Amino acid sequence: MSMEATELQDLSDDADYAASQQQGSASMMRSDSGKRSLQSEHEDAVLIYLKDNVAIHPTQFASERISGRLKLTKQDSVLFLSWIPYKGQTSNAKLSEKDRSLYTITAVPFTEVRSIRRHTPALGWQYVIVVLSSGLAFPPLYFYNGGVREFLAMVKQHVFLARSSEDQNVFIVNDFQSPLQRTLSSLELPSSLPVASGQSVYPLDGGSSSENQRRTSSDVGNRVSSVSQSGFRKQKSHDPTRDLSIHLLEKFSLVTKFARDTTTQLFSENNGFGSIDKRWNNQPVHSYPEKLSNIAEEKHHEIRHSYSENDLLKDDEISYIDVPADPLEFDKLSLMWGKPRQPPMGHKERRNDISPSIKCRISTEYFTALLDSEGRVVESKALRERVFYGGIEHQLRREVWPFLLGYYAYDSTYAEREYLRSVKRMEYATLKQQWQSISPEQAKRFTKYRERKGLIDKDVVRTDRAFEYYEGDDNLHVNSMRDILLTYSFYNFDLGYCQGMSDYLSPILFVMEDESESFWCFVALMERLGPNFNRDQNGMHTQLFALSKLVELLDSPLHNYFKENDCLNYFFCFRWILIQFKREFEYEKTMQLWEVMWTHYLSEHFHLYVCVAVLKRCRSKIMGEQMDFDTLLKFINELSGHIDLDSTVRDAEALCIEAGENGAASIPPGTPPSLPLDDGTLYPQEDDVL
Amino acid sequence: MPSRRRTLLKVIILGDSGVGKTSLMNQYVNKKFSNQYKATIGADFLTKEVQFEDRLFTLQIWDTAGQERFQSLGVAFYRGADCCVLVYDVNSMKSFENLNNWREEFLIQASPSDPENFPFVLIGNKVDVDDGNSRVVSEKKAKAWCASKGNIPYFETSAKVGTNVEEAFQCIAKDALKSGEEEELYLPDTIDVGTSNQQRSTGCEC
Ligand SMILES: Nc1nc2c(ncn2[C@@H]2O[C@H](COP(=O)(O)OP(=O)(O)OP(=O)(O)O)[C@@H](O)[C@H]2O)c(=O)[nH]1
Ligand SMILES: [Mg+2]
Repeated sequence: MSMEATELQDLSDDADYAASQQQGSASMMRSDSGKRSLQSEHEDAVLIYLKDNVAIHPTQFASERISGRLKLTKQDSVLFLSWIPYKGQTSNAKLSEKDRSLYTITAVPFTEVRSIRRHTPALGWQYVIVVLSSGLAFPPLYFYNGGVREFLAMVKQHVFLARSSEDQNVFIVNDFQSPLQRTLSSLELPSSLPVASGQSVYPLDGGSSSENQRRTSSDVGNRVSSVSQSGFRKQKSHDPTRDLSIHLLEKFSLVTKFARDTTTQLFSENNGFGSIDKRWNNQPVHSYPEKLSNIAEEKHHEIRHSYSENDLLKDDEISYIDVPADPLEFDKLSLMWGKPRQPPMGHKERRNDISPSIKCRISTEYFTALLDSEGRVVESKALRERVFYGGIEHQLRREVWPFLLGYYAYDSTYAEREYLRSVKRMEYATLKQQWQSISPEQAKRFTKYRERKGLIDKDVVRTDRAFEYYEGDDNLHVNSMRDILLTYSFYNFDLGYCQGMSDYLSPILFVMEDESESFWCFVALMERLGPNFNRDQNGMHTQLFALSKLVELLDSPLHNYFKENDCLNYFFCFRWILIQFKREFEYEKTMQLWEVMWTHYLSEHFHLYVCVAVLKRCRSKIMGEQMDFDTLLKFINELSGHIDLDSTVRDAEALCIEAGENGAASIPPGTPPSLPLDDGTLYPQEDDVL
Repeated sequence: MPSRRRTLLKVIILGDSGVGKTSLMNQYVNKKFSNQYKATIGADFLTKEVQFEDRLFTLQIWDTAGQERFQSLGVAFYRGADCCVLVYDVNSMKSFENLNNWREEFLIQASPSDPENFPFVLIGNKVDVDDGNSRVVSEKKAKAWCASKGNIPYFETSAKVGTNVEEAFQCIAKDALKSGEEEELYLPDTIDVGTSNQQRSTGCEC
């Protein structure tokens, strides 16, 4: 957090604060009168603690913040945490009411809090991160007037707080209520009752049901993301669900027209995901517990755990369970919005009657045509669009990736890039020298270095060894990979090395074929994705959180299903997100997907829409077979190698367009791969870890 | 009813990155070793049928990533475990020293009902490397640690060659079964409440 962005302010100058003072506590209670808050604002609820001027930062600019009031209340011996943004005029016009409500934390019982991490830097503001047992975390809560210590002390008086043995800034919340008690008490809370899923099935049948739909979605909204709708009841236009259904109505009339003209084309093209071949029709579907209970059925059990290639992604419609319909009529949408892919950039020029070296030259010439005489990319948007709709011919990747990754600036000239390369080559050599000059004697006394090197050594020999570029003993490319990763762990000593990094580096080295160039491309990529590997896993938590918001927006029945089945932490998507589908596709396809995502053409967070697209394709399987967390995780892991890239990207595009601004608003600013907060200390770390 | 529920036994394998957790699991379930397993990202599990007396059980073996910073994920995976297998590499002192961390972290995150008596099994892996010449943790030292933690059973294995792997998992399965049965007597009511909740959420209320 840069201190100069906003000085610590006198509270009387703070519009948010002033507004809250005027409204007083009565209106705070009123703004809080949604269903969830019944329990917290009930007469029995006792206010334990109140702290004003606790803020969250929805964007990277310190000046853009949402201030609010943090409260601890207690009812029936359960402690609740709430954070309510101040109502009234916002101090910053860029912040919408939607932003405010997105982040509202409405009475979360401490029985659902797993841990609290505190950050009390000597310089800059103190903040805490509250992590729920589901694994999701709220955005950091900044204590503008200090007082994190007092807050924790207060919490400690009411729940059992234990300091983590791993990290002295993490406090684990232990609740001693028995699971039985917890279950019973949760039954009293109206908001935690499952809502008839039928209500949310058909968002399109008339005006009154859109009201229904709105209520339903707020009722079943997961607590982490729980949007305090009540404060904004009159502003219907801010309800994403309602917006969606209106959009849909408009678009559906288009679809029918559109579909008539294109049906033939669509069916011939749609050979991947949307296959109309339903061979699972006669396959009985059993619920999981039944199946395990009966050993005679073990054969079926086998089937469930090893899906055959063709069945994995097919929506088998026959099941004993009524699967709520997809509110988006997803099939039609993606047909309408997801444009067919073009051949990869540079492909047209490819002819089979010429030698590979000439082919390569021609591809390069194609790219050169996009540059001005001095080598600047004239229209970066056109380039990104072209790549988004078809990827890049392999020979061209080495030219284009450095631009997409941000290592080369689009407006740089040939000469400038030449110069950059040579400067960076020397810089790389210097960085590499840092660890190469460590003598065996020094290494003996340098545990952290030894451990890092050990970890990297173990990982590079486990990375893509079946791919021919890295095949075989004493492979030089494997050595290069090791050197680059070790050098990176010195270049970014705070972040260090983390598993998954070698997965990212491998295709980059394969494409760039040069150690220094690969290193700097990797550095550029890590500028955006470094937070995936951060020790507090905050980058991953924000992305999983954003994914849950997107699914809630784009498929509320599926969201409800995950909620009811304790799957809301989305950990089953962890691998997808950590290494951006690297393990889900074959090598060439991964490179294709990456370059499409790196264009940031429709969204910086296209990968999240890819997640939603795949989940939606499997929705009726997931819900129809009543998968529990374990089964779902296994199912998702086994999708690896069975996802059709082109149709998935097309679906994701459709979803991204459909979600529009509501989609963008569901993703908290700063969520990777957006560039992280510019606060100088990207990875502030404790000293006691690797 | 209770006997049905207990046909699934959940086992978690923990230990530092690279000690051979994935290799051990694959050696036991698929009877093979490959030099090309990738570093584990997130978590996965394999299942294997085991027989005790005349009953069949499904052993569900969870393999998670070994790097420290992924530990916070554990909370989603450790719950309901019947046995926890701690693995270290006999050629790496650090992996042995970290056993305490793994054990404590597991107890915190899984919060078993009876932490004192929760069954752990320790495995010292990679005994084949360099014919044991690069070994740095002695059997004696490992056994002393086991004794200090309430007599944890100990096995020395090679996931590569297959030495002792079957034996270790036999013991693991047995301990898991024992702890699973105790738990049944321990908390029958809560389990039933959970089950009826589950049924309510299957979407038949509309
Ligand atoms: N010689 C020998 N090598 C082994 C043995 N077990 C595993 N390895 C090797 O050690 C390395 C790590 O094995 P993994 O099974 O992937 O380790 P892991 O514990 O699953 O590691 P993470 O997934 O990173 O937590 C691999 O290169 C294996 O081939 C063994 O018993 N003997
Ligand atoms: Mg592994």
